[in-house]
Amino acid sequence: MRNDTIPQLQAPLTINWAINNSCNFACSHCYSREDTHEELPRDVLYACLEKVARAGVFSVNFGGGEPLLHPQLLEIAAFASGLGLRVSMNSNGWLLDGEKAVALKAAGFTKVGISIDSHIADVHDTFRGVAGSHARALAALGHLQSVGIATSISTVICRINSTTIDELVEMALRHGAGQLNFHNFKCSGLGLANKDDLDLTPDEWKEFYRHALVVKKSVKGLDVSLDDPIIALLGERDAGSLVKGSVCGKLSLNIKANGDMTPCGFIPIVIGNIVRDDLRQVWKDSAVLEKMRNKQPTGKCSGCSKYEDCLGGCTARALALTGDMNSPDPHCWGDDEPSR
Amino acid sequence: MPTIHRNPNVMWREEDDALAEAGDALARGEDAGEIGTAVLFSGGTMLSVNYLGMEIWKLCDNRTVDGIVAELLEQFEVEEDVLRTDVRAFLDELAVKGFIVYAE
Ligand code: SF4
Repeated sequence: MRNDTIPQLQAPLTINWAINNSCNFACSHCYSREDTHEELPRDVLYACLEKVARAGVFSVNFGGGEPLLHPQLLEIAAFASGLGLRVSMNSNGWLLDGEKAVALKAAGFTKVGISIDSHIADVHDTFRGVAGSHARALAALGHLQSVGIATSISTVICRINSTTIDELVEMALRHGAGQLNFHNFKCSGLGLANKDDLDLTPDEWKEFYRHALVVKKSVKGLDVSLDDPIIALLGERDAGSLVKGSVCGKLSLNIKANGDMTPCGFIPIVIGNIVRDDLRQVWKDSAVLEKMRNKQPTGKCSGCSKYEDCLGGCTARALALTGDMNSPDPHCWGDDEPSR
Repeated sequence: MPTIHRNPNVMWREEDDALAEAGDALARGEDAGEIGTAVLFSGGTMLSVNYLGMEIWKLCDNRTVDGIVAELLEQFEVEEDVLRTDVRAFLDELAVKGFIVYAE
């Protein structure tokens, strides 16, 4: 009665929706800093949310930019949750005090992720370009928990934090976060410009994931999430995932502040616009999504025994660094002999 | 006997194309068990279920296992004992994942 794989879904399960691109921070790995600053008027956004709910989407995760800088965030979220959509958000936490937490709860937010790059305040503050931001991010977690909103910490793994897994876990436990998301470094936007300073070598990724997987299995009371398909190379898959390779374009879709739809936040290919296009149609007919769902092994992937699970790793990263979605993930530490 | 209740936090939807495909297969007298016709999603866990699984899921509304089996026997031509075993196994899996709760 339960199937191990899913057919092609008629609509995404989740939409990552960048409702604005304004930000009060200046992070070195930001992928959206150079994105459009055009934002949809509230009523147009409402119509788009109705469209998304009608298509059968389960949840909307607001991002940006910094969503709390959007003057109508609360109304928009309340409207979305009124349509039956589950509403969550990613924030840097700076503007999230006790009063705002109460308002977020009233607007229907069920979960909020706070971005924290290091367990060391100075390192985080320098990386984000704002003194005091670490303390406020941690305080935001407390405010959210006190009103009953589930919390997670989002950490983009890069050179400043890749060897501090234990410390990050300890920080997450101490501050009561339910989940710690280790996001793989994507090489998009400023992440690409700063790649040489921030990205790890394939061998360093291997070491990171080896350790992270051990911690993930042993830590209690915290869900450590690793969203990188190349962990298949260590014989692992994220439990609960029904799709192989990247989830982008298979379970989730990204919408930008001006309504443009892209497969994920890190692939800058516009496949439609939610204002004028039919979501289910784009989801079904987009040639770009089709290509992402039917990747073909090239180079060392061709002979790799993990291809079936890994599907060449992160499509966004392959595309950003090689121009070809089908290229092996540049983070892959698998050897170059196509005969494993 | 405990009654069975869906966890209200679980989001679920039927997939129209897959449902039509399963309907066609059943009409031809073929097995549609491999066709996932619906998805259930909660707290990062997703399940794909087939036509029969979805019918069971829809019946998890304050019924007992016997009540669910009795309903299904009206819809499907299957051995009662086999069905009961399958229904129990499926419900237990849903309960372990927190998708349903048993209430006395
Ligand atoms: S060689 Fe390709 S398929 Fe194999 S682990 Fe590396 S990226 Fe994945």
